[in-house]
Amino acid sequence: MSNFEPNIIAFVCNWCSYAGADQAGEQKLDYPANVKLIRVMCTGRVDPQFVMNAFRGGADGVMVLGCHPGDCHYRNGNIKALRRFEIFKNMLGQFGINRERFLLDWVAAGEGQKFQKVTTEMTEKIKGLGPLVIRGYVESEVV
Amino acid sequence: MNEADSRTGLFLCRCGANIADFVDLESVASRMRDRDEVAFVETHDFLCSVAGKEFILETLKGKDVDNVILAACTPKMHLKGFQKTLGKAGVNIAKVHMANIREQCAWITKDRDKATEKARLLINAAIKRSAYHENLQQKTMECLTDVIVIGGGIAGIEAALVAANAGRKVTIIEKDISLGGSIIKTEEIAPNMECAPCLLAPRLTAVRENENIEVVANSEVTDVTGFFGNFTVKVRKKARYVDDSCIGCEACFEACPVSCPSDFHLGLGERKAIYTAFAGSVPASAVIDRERCLHFTDESCSACADSCPFQSIDFSDSDEELEFSGGAVILATGYDNADSSLVRNLGYGDIENVYTTPEFERVASSNGPTGGDIQDRKGNKPESAAVIHCAGSLSSGGLDYCSGICCMNALKVGELIRKQNPDAVVYNIHDRLVFKGPEEQSFYQKQIDDGTIMLKTDSHLSVSIKKKNGKVEISADGIDPVQVDMVVLSTGLVPSAGTDELAEMLHIDTSKAGFFKTDHPILHETGTTIDGINTAGCCISPCSSSSAITRAYAAAGDSVSRLIPGRKLELEIMTAVIDEDVCAGCKLCISVCPYTAITFDPEKKISVVNEAICRGCGTCAASCPSGAASAKHFTNRQIYAEIEGVLNE
Amino acid sequence: MSDKPKVAFYWCASCGGCEETVVDLEEKILDVVKAIDIVFWPCAMDPKYSDLEAMDDGEIAISFINGAIRTSEQEHISKLLRKKSGVVIAFGSCAVMGGIPALANLKNKKDIFKRSYRDSPTNVNPEGVLPQTETDLDGCRLSLPEFYDTVYKLDDVIEVDYYMPGCPPTPANLETAVQAALKGELPEKGAVLLPDKSLCVSCDRNETKPDDITISRIRRLTEVQADPEECFLAQGIICMGPATRDGCEYPCVKGNMPCTGCFGPVSDADQGARMIASIGGIIDADDEGEVRDAVSAMPDPAGTFYRYSLSSSLLGKKREER
Repeated sequence: MSNFEPNIIAFVCNWCSYAGADQAGEQKLDYPANVKLIRVMCTGRVDPQFVMNAFRGGADGVMVLGCHPGDCHYRNGNIKALRRFEIFKNMLGQFGINRERFLLDWVAAGEGQKFQKVTTEMTEKIKGLGPLVIRGYVESEVV
Repeated sequence: MNEADSRTGLFLCRCGANIADFVDLESVASRMRDRDEVAFVETHDFLCSVAGKEFILETLKGKDVDNVILAACTPKMHLKGFQKTLGKAGVNIAKVHMANIREQCAWITKDRDKATEKARLLINAAIKRSAYHENLQQKTMECLTDVIVIGGGIAGIEAALVAANAGRKVTIIEKDISLGGSIIKTEEIAPNMECAPCLLAPRLTAVRENENIEVVANSEVTDVTGFFGNFTVKVRKKARYVDDSCIGCEACFEACPVSCPSDFHLGLGERKAIYTAFAGSVPASAVIDRERCLHFTDESCSACADSCPFQSIDFSDSDEELEFSGGAVILATGYDNADSSLVRNLGYGDIENVYTTPEFERVASSNGPTGGDIQDRKGNKPESAAVIHCAGSLSSGGLDYCSGICCMNALKVGELIRKQNPDAVVYNIHDRLVFKGPEEQSFYQKQIDDGTIMLKTDSHLSVSIKKKNGKVEISADGIDPVQVDMVVLSTGLVPSAGTDELAEMLHIDTSKAGFFKTDHPILHETGTTIDGINTAGCCISPCSSSSAITRAYAAAGDSVSRLIPGRKLELEIMTAVIDEDVCAGCKLCISVCPYTAITFDPEKKISVVNEAICRGCGTCAASCPSGAASAKHFTNRQIYAEIEGVLNE
Repeated sequence: MSDKPKVAFYWCASCGGCEETVVDLEEKILDVVKAIDIVFWPCAMDPKYSDLEAMDDGEIAISFINGAIRTSEQEHISKLLRKKSGVVIAFGSCAVMGGIPALANLKNKKDIFKRSYRDSPTNVNPEGVLPQTETDLDGCRLSLPEFYDTVYKLDDVIEVDYYMPGCPPTPANLETAVQAALKGELPEKGAVLLPDKSLCVSCDRNETKPDDITISRIRRLTEVQADPEECFLAQGIICMGPATRDGCEYPCVKGNMPCTGCFGPVSDADQGARMIASIGGIIDADDEGEVRDAVSAMPDPAGTFYRYSLSSSLLGKKREER
């Protein structure tokens, strides 16, 4: 598994975490290229279907990164994300998916270093878990 | 329009060496050129430069593309500029998209192959996403340019004057019977010891004389609806029983047989059942206290009406429901003094000569119960006094924050006492001290030079107070006990009563301490969580009088600078939209909207988005259980295409 | 041989509830039978597969196939019916989205066999024998259909023309479909023969739902006495109504039980994900601890939100060929 390069998608909010990623870039803080960002205006926009589609489409790990509680540009969209994904995480295991493959975290615009840290740690963690196999990847028996 | 028949123009930016050195743009370009949906791929050194933008426009001439992708730096820097440039070429704002191959590729990995591969995937995602982009139009809205100010203390007054001087009609809604707020209850303002009533009087006159300002006092806000550019505020104006012809001549005060404790003097002095807040109040007219007035309690008296030279008394007056409209709301609801229950443990209420700083202010004020003569409840002038800093603050049972201005008020006590009795001994018993800037620091030094004895305790929480030998004894860890005639507890500031209810009405957030929550502590301190509702004064956090006024200027400036008569407001482009053919009216989108932009249409039984309020967060789109709600430019289909794009080229 | 249109009913992995719907037409079934010929209905008649194989391609006007696809036999007959039928309607939630049987997609064949044939306390199977597709017994060769690892929805194995979800669909739903087919008024292929709105549009209780609905915590039916008038969600009880297609006339809600989602999602979506997003939106909890506490009364989120739709869910459906 040592040469396994996971696919990781991070849904990032426009106001905090996307800007945090920009800061990581500006400061040339290396983080794994495995992590691909998808910008949304607010983590409140992140529909669990996005995360499921990512897993289904070949992502081995998914992150949702938003503003710290209290800092949401839209008052509390991040808290709505927190509530949704609490239920979602509780359910992942039922589908045989390790809940560690999903991460909701807060990265502020000025936290380039934190962005580097969470993406690096997530990539390491997913490398350890190996490629994601979900039911959708059971070899189709239908001929 | 689907992926197959959408045509994309792709520009790659070398960004000097910034991108070109880390991403193999040639290989990216040649891979992208092979794609059916890509009309052309062009590379430039600096797309954002003047030459770069000309290059973009030149390239597009004669080309037939549906959308344009710029693979360059972060969209947060240049997307708006590119949209503007491409707008000249007739490309719709929503058909311009960026792939961030600098901050997210070139600058975060030293491995050229990985950076190149990631850049390809990000561009791939952009191409796939763009296939589903739909034109979006900038909508505008007529706006009201008047301003509604809630709260008529010094901050509300200043905000109103700024807006009125800019030619706007301003309504000041004040819950008390007169404008003036907290500052009028203060004698002098530290550190410069400016006379507070003298500061306020000319400003009250300015309000009185300003034809653009309407003062609605003795009133409470009952409902607020609307949004930036169009707010409606409903108000209940309570009966005064004295009409506008009253000039506040006070003839009726003599005649009125009823005396009762005065709120204005915090219960330390008295007033009549007909009274004004203070001489020179705005409005000038007196008010009858219905609970106390004999005419209302047993119809036995009409002395005020008999004595009035203007026939201003109107016993038949009743409450009125009023409505005001404006483009912006400025909140200037100020603060209250912390509840005395927080300082019960410091002898307050048990020991007669223990006062709070606001009470001491009344005792020392020329418009106070003793005409400014500092004396205790028995009429004795104190020979010695102790001021306790941080009383009821910075403690788990009290306020858990520092109000930041109480140290100045606490030091002022000594200054005021010594002014009347230079030999008086004054102790200030403190743990930490907060002075901001050189003037406050010099004021502190001056008090020490003038004789104030500063006693530093190990903890302000260890202070205890008890009666001893006819005096009050204060002891605390780290100091020797002292005995004094008078104790003044320096209490903190809390949000004014009704802040929560008002926040609820306005749908704005409150901070942990209960004040209105600021939009941004640095970029937009006077803003709230709703656009168009600004704050002036202490209602977002305790502050000095000068800061309160500065905030008023900021709030008024922000309001009037964006509400220009004859100019329309530009609305958010990427709003939510609800498909009425799908919406079943389950209402689950309504409570997740942070701005009350979604309402329920009882006729059609569906949810409706008000595009003037929506700011495009998209939370409703994710929350909609039937797929009726979607977020423009962040639709499920667009996001799914992007997900697919970053995973597989 | 009459010239009435021929109709087939077939059940795959299902409980028989969908057949009940046909029976529940009551005397109306006589009108139906006047208009059509039921040529194949294993539940009620005794046809042989050979009879079906002997028919011409396209000879059957409409086949109503209910049940999920769990075994090779179900796949085989579905394909056969597809060949012999002009129109195939996936009838009932199991055929449309996997239904209750698809809850098994949270497990796999190995675990299911182990539990059913070895660990279950009511079993007597000392040798731990598991079902085989072929075995010799007393000189005879016996065969059993293969049990698949995944529960499929019908359109995973054959092309489906129309969808009629429901657990079961109501007799009125069935009648509407049959009448539409007989009059040639069926919509575009691929359509769901039901309204494109969620249940709340019909539900009486929606009137009682506050515009600004928030719930302090999720409550299980076992811990509260549900108010018979008030919207379940407003009471904190999970009701799948908002994420579920209308058309059932909500008998569960009328019986003071919340909707469990049997009619599936409105439009093509992941029903469970949508409901999770909605519920998450309206829970009144502000930090991780509060949120955890508020949703603690949900021991089985997958079973709650995907009770009927696992085979069409993003995480539980079959692999799409890339």
